Amino acid sequence: MANKVLVADDEIHIIHVVAIKLRNNGYEVIAANNGAEAYDLACRENPDVVVTDYQMPLMTGLELVTKMRTDERTRDIPVILLTARSFAVSQEQQESLGIASCLSKPFSPKELLKTIQDILHQRQLAAKC
Amino acid sequence: MRGRPSTVWIATAAALLALLLAALARVPGTGAAARSGDGLAWLHLAAYGVGAMGVIFLGVGYRRCAGAVTSIATRLSSPEPAGTERDGPRAPGALTEAVDARLARNEAVIQELRGQLRDLQVRSQLAEREKRHTEAILYSLRDAVLVVDGADKLLMANEPAAGLFGFDAGDSRRQPLAEIVGQTQAEFVELLRQSRRTRTEATKREIVIAREDRPHTYEVIVSCVQEDGKALGVVAVLHDVTKEKEVAQMKNDFVSHVSHELKTPLASITAYSEMLADGEANDEETRKEFYAVIQSQAQRLNRLIEDILNISRIESGLIKVRKEQASLTILIQEQLQMIRNYAEEKQITVTAGPPIVYDQVYVDKDMLSQVIINLLSNAVKYTPAGGRVSVGTEVDEAARLARVTVTDTGAGIPAEEIGHLFEKFYRVSANNKLAKGTGLGLNLVKQIVEKVHNGRVFVTSEVGVGSTFGFELPLATAAEVVAV
Repeated sequence: MANKVLVADDEIHIIHVVAIKLRNNGYEVIAANNGAEAYDLACRENPDVVVTDYQMPLMTGLELVTKMRTDERTRDIPVILLTARSFAVSQEQQESLGIASCLSKPFSPKELLKTIQDILHQRQLAAKC
Repeated sequence: MRGRPSTVWIATAAALLALLLAALARVPGTGAAARSGDGLAWLHLAAYGVGAMGVIFLGVGYRRCAGAVTSIATRLSSPEPAGTERDGPRAPGALTEAVDARLARNEAVIQELRGQLRDLQVRSQLAEREKRHTEAILYSLRDAVLVVDGADKLLMANEPAAGLFGFDAGDSRRQPLAEIVGQTQAEFVELLRQSRRTRTEATKREIVIAREDRPHTYEVIVSCVQEDGKALGVVAVLHDVTKEKEVAQMKNDFVSHVSHELKTPLASITAYSEMLADGEANDEETRKEFYAVIQSQAQRLNRLIEDILNISRIESGLIKVRKEQASLTILIQEQLQMIRNYAEEKQITVTAGPPIVYDQVYVDKDMLSQVIINLLSNAVKYTPAGGRVSVGTEVDEAARLARVTVTDTGAGIPAEEIGHLFEKFYRVSANNKLAKGTGLGLNLVKQIVEKVHNGRVFVTSEVGVGSTFGFELPLATAAEVVAV
């Protein structure tokens, strides 16, 4: 069964290109245009990984992660944050919110794919232990 | 004198004997005179001889007296201790010379002392003048300057210092600094104490002091004044860097905003080009789609850079303006065509009021088109689906003004944020999540209307009802119309 990735960004072109890259590599992709929509999808669809932009309408990426961490259904889902602002998220915030990785825009789809693969691999190893 | 046979006494006795002999020789009837004429002659001779001896003895006595006087005078005038003189008493000429020499030396000393006195007076005047200059400089400085002594008591403070800490500069001299500036400035007082204790020269520190309007940041330079290793006091200069800090923060924000806005389209360009290079676009249609995205994002990037540059050029007065006579109605219709597709996508109705009779303005057409499209796209962007946007135009003949308004049924703007709307990169926090934006569009509108065309921008809004953005421009004058 394919791993499911939720991609949240208000830039439709970014969602499109990430979706193609992930689908070409065997992932199932669901998408949201803002933070609020992303949170609803995360609760309903239980994705294996969430890839979210930092700055989005209705709910920012950071607000989305914060909310996900308070909800039992989404607490343990690993999150990758895409940000165009350098140093937007401190190391402390990243650790306290359990953000698996921060990638700064412009990012490489290849790098994003590898990051997702690494995270899922680590989770599989952790599950076996 | 006492140990020797007195020459003076011998001389005096000889003189008296001579006078007696002479008197006997002259008195008639006396024995000597009566005896014979030769006896009288001998008596005369003896008297003269004794008188001569007296004169000789008197001369010798005088010489000795003169020698004694000279010796006394020399001893009195000479710095040598008494008894050191070996050459014997000097002649009166030597005394005069010695006195003259001494007088000459004393005169030289007096002249030298007078010279030194004059020098000291000049130095004192210069020092006084320098002090006045220094005080004048200190008092004319906008920076606050405080000087305290070795016991942390105030020696001097200029007006800005007195104003800053709220004390009277004249009445507070010799008062402890801690009492003058108050408990709230403990950090500042401690800084001065520390400088004095450690004999530190020119330490720089930033402190925040509450003012009437807001907290101000001061760069404080404190320097311990020392003499022979002893701390005489401390000089503190406080420079208000609040404005510089705000400007630096604005610059940082600007760079942060610009980099964010530039990175967004750049992220798409980078991702799509990498996908093309890696052969991830599986068919021709997908490849074309990717190229189209790269092209549109490159154009977006270019527009953004143009907006930033235009604002910068207008602000610096370096923009090239090509004004010509133009019809406002035509310019508005052109931009309405541009926005219509976007409005339809969002199911927003866009309407324009009836054209006005005389709508000629003297403007840079490209710039004014930019103003109109920015106002229209903002209205559509912040109006929910099913809303309306209407464009109105009117002329104030008396004021010779054309007025354009763009009214929407959007989210509206809170009253406290309206004053900031035309600031660079400002975005209404409540509406920030409704749509993306750079916060440059309205600033560019204001720059073009007010700086380039001597017009005026305005806005009215009500939360939950909608907003009206607009601008006024002077109507084209007859001269401008003829010139075209």
